[in-house]
Amino acid sequence: MSLLSVRSVNTFIEQYHILEGVDLEVGEGEIVALLGRNGAGKTTTLKTILGLTPPRSGVVEFAGRTLRGMRPFEIAALGIGYVPEHRAIFRDLTVEENLRIAERSKGDYARRKDLILSLFPDLGRLIDLPGTKLSGGQQQMLAVGRALVPDNQLLLIDEPSEGLAPILIQQMMEAIRELSADTTVLLVEQNFIVASRLASSFVIIEEGRSVHHGAMADLVHDDETIRRYLGAA
Amino acid sequence: MTTTAAPPTRMRRISEALKRNRGRAAIVAALAFIFLSGLFTMDAGDWMITVLRGLAVGAITFLVASGLSLIFGLMDVLNLAHGELFMLGAYVGWTVYVRPDTFIDISLPIAIAVAVVFFCWPLVAPFAARLSLSLVWTRVVAVVAAVAGGVIAVWAFGRFPLSIWNLEQFDQTPTADSIALQQGIQTVPPTASWDGSPLVAIVGLLVGVALVVVAFALVRYRDAAAPPFGIRRLVPAFVAAAIAVALLLFGNSLTDFLYEISTTYRFFLALIVALIGGFALGAMIETSLIRPLYDRPIYQLMITLGLGFIIIEVVREVWGRPEFAMPKPALFNGTGEGCPGQGISGLFSGCSTIEILDTRVRMYNEVFIISVGVAVLVIISLLIKRTRMGMIIRAGVQDREMVEALGVNVRQVFTLVFALGVGLAAFGGVVAGPALGLSPEMGSRVLLLALIAMAVGGLTSFPGAAAGAVLVGLLQQFVIKAGSTGIPVPWSDIPFKPSPSLVPVSVIMLMIVVLLVVPEGLFGREE
Repeated sequence: MSLLSVRSVNTFIEQYHILEGVDLEVGEGEIVALLGRNGAGKTTTLKTILGLTPPRSGVVEFAGRTLRGMRPFEIAALGIGYVPEHRAIFRDLTVEENLRIAERSKGDYARRKDLILSLFPDLGRLIDLPGTKLSGGQQQMLAVGRALVPDNQLLLIDEPSEGLAPILIQQMMEAIRELSADTTVLLVEQNFIVASRLASSFVIIEEGRSVHHGAMADLVHDDETIRRYLGAA
Repeated sequence: MTTTAAPPTRMRRISEALKRNRGRAAIVAALAFIFLSGLFTMDAGDWMITVLRGLAVGAITFLVASGLSLIFGLMDVLNLAHGELFMLGAYVGWTVYVRPDTFIDISLPIAIAVAVVFFCWPLVAPFAARLSLSLVWTRVVAVVAAVAGGVIAVWAFGRFPLSIWNLEQFDQTPTADSIALQQGIQTVPPTASWDGSPLVAIVGLLVGVALVVVAFALVRYRDAAAPPFGIRRLVPAFVAAAIAVALLLFGNSLTDFLYEISTTYRFFLALIVALIGGFALGAMIETSLIRPLYDRPIYQLMITLGLGFIIIEVVREVWGRPEFAMPKPALFNGTGEGCPGQGISGLFSGCSTIEILDTRVRMYNEVFIISVGVAVLVIISLLIKRTRMGMIIRAGVQDREMVEALGVNVRQVFTLVFALGVGLAAFGGVVAGPALGLSPEMGSRVLLLALIAMAVGGLTSFPGAAAGAVLVGLLQQFVIKAGSTGIPVPWSDIPFKPSPSLVPVSVIMLMIVVLLVVPEGLFGREE
């Protein structure tokens, strides 16, 4: 049974019809890549799952529960971590506070601190700095680390490699691979090389519709599909 | 952090920071020049008292601006009723302070109503959630229940005993009460009696309020799951019920007791009542008026504006239009032997004034108000810096959506912050009362200063609100002082004396200059 299942979801932002029928399944322990061109609706799909842009019709199910009518904080509290596009690090909070604010019950941070610092050793020496002082790569690590503070069953990660230097992309990929050992991941990624190395399966979104899905191993050899939906790979 | 080539020298770093903040530095330097140049045109005592008065005005402005800025920063709501809530706080505080009998009398039905609300809500909610009426029927039943309940409750409320002033007869007006207390004449007004049978009034109130609660629960839980019932959710009801029973049994002796104790204790009781009452009122305003309109900010603005006008009219109706004084608490009103106190040691002499640098400093207007301002600043800063709620506020000012996506119930924090802001404003009203006097218009004056302070300091910045309030207060007092001492004008023998109408102009000028030079305000962040 899949951990997350999204079925014929339609989402409007104001009067604009952004998602026009998205279906996707994420099985427990998998990394699924959500692919597509800019503006196809990948980020909106993540936000719809979390209830930040609630769907107008369709079903989102997580761990056997239908998420209808729930507020984002209630959905997140079911065990979904969110690493948004552009990181959304809190500037006025120190690195440690940025992690602490994600606690859902007291002691989460203390319990997970070692794990987070072993994935991203850089954060250790930055722990007392305000969020403003971090570089783009450090912010990205903090954003992922923040999603690891509570016990999340599913992580929604939006563009983790965006704007990072190649060496940092490498580090980020290793971290995601490591954390996926006990967490399911739904990953939005523009960089096809990154996506293809991390994910075991994929869903392609085109103009608000999920048009294609399957195993990543098949997609890598399917130049036709890659060219058609993702542009030159 | 030692990985970079050569760490910049301290001088370089300072000069770079100055360059980045040229506009801010220029404004601070100009203000400092204005304030310090006063030392050459007036003697040291005059200068000191002007600074103290400026800080006192700043402290009162800050009590309003702090809540306004927290609310605006976190939820983008500009609460235009904030000044009026400050004013309402002053009037409620005055009532507790000068007419404790009225306060005790009115507390009884309020305590009963609160108990009914907290008792019925958790009980009714599960039924309301299970009841599957159509939308139309739900609304019809709810409106009928709310109207009927409201009428019964108001009718029953009128039958409770209420000993209150009488605006028609001068010797029974709030003005007369204030003058009597000022002169130390303390007479307990005659006890009011029930209009008819107490049982009818109490049962009427119970039924009326319960009907209103049912109406709200029907609408609220029509399409939503009710939280599970637990005995712990009834705790507030039991507390309110215990208070109601105590008031019913011992109300009169409590009134006598309040009339006997020193005005100092009564004043502190008034401060606490205003803080708690403001907090509760703020929570009610946020959940009922503000929350349904988060998608329509203009409507929020208009609803707070309208609420302000309603409060003004209610206050005029209940406490009357004329301005009246609020006597100072005994602790700050000592006279006679050994007064005024001398120097710093005079702070503890219990006199109404102390003499420093041959100038009389008023204990209440200057010393107490400034201390309250500083204490509130410290407490709120600690709250923001050290607590989890403060962390959520700081993060939420920047990105509410992300905070919510982390699993934090941001709406609940909104309610708390709104309530806290209103509580602080009401508290500020009581603090300001003895210094400024009470009038239905006192709120709009403070609101204007507070809004300017926020604009000067940076709209969403809490330290900015504090700094802006102090600058606005100082500038205002220095311009007032210059009206009598005059500012020497070069090449002219006649000094320039700003007329009183230039006082508000000068403050607005400060705002204009700041916004032109640093549009984000002194402590704001460039967006």
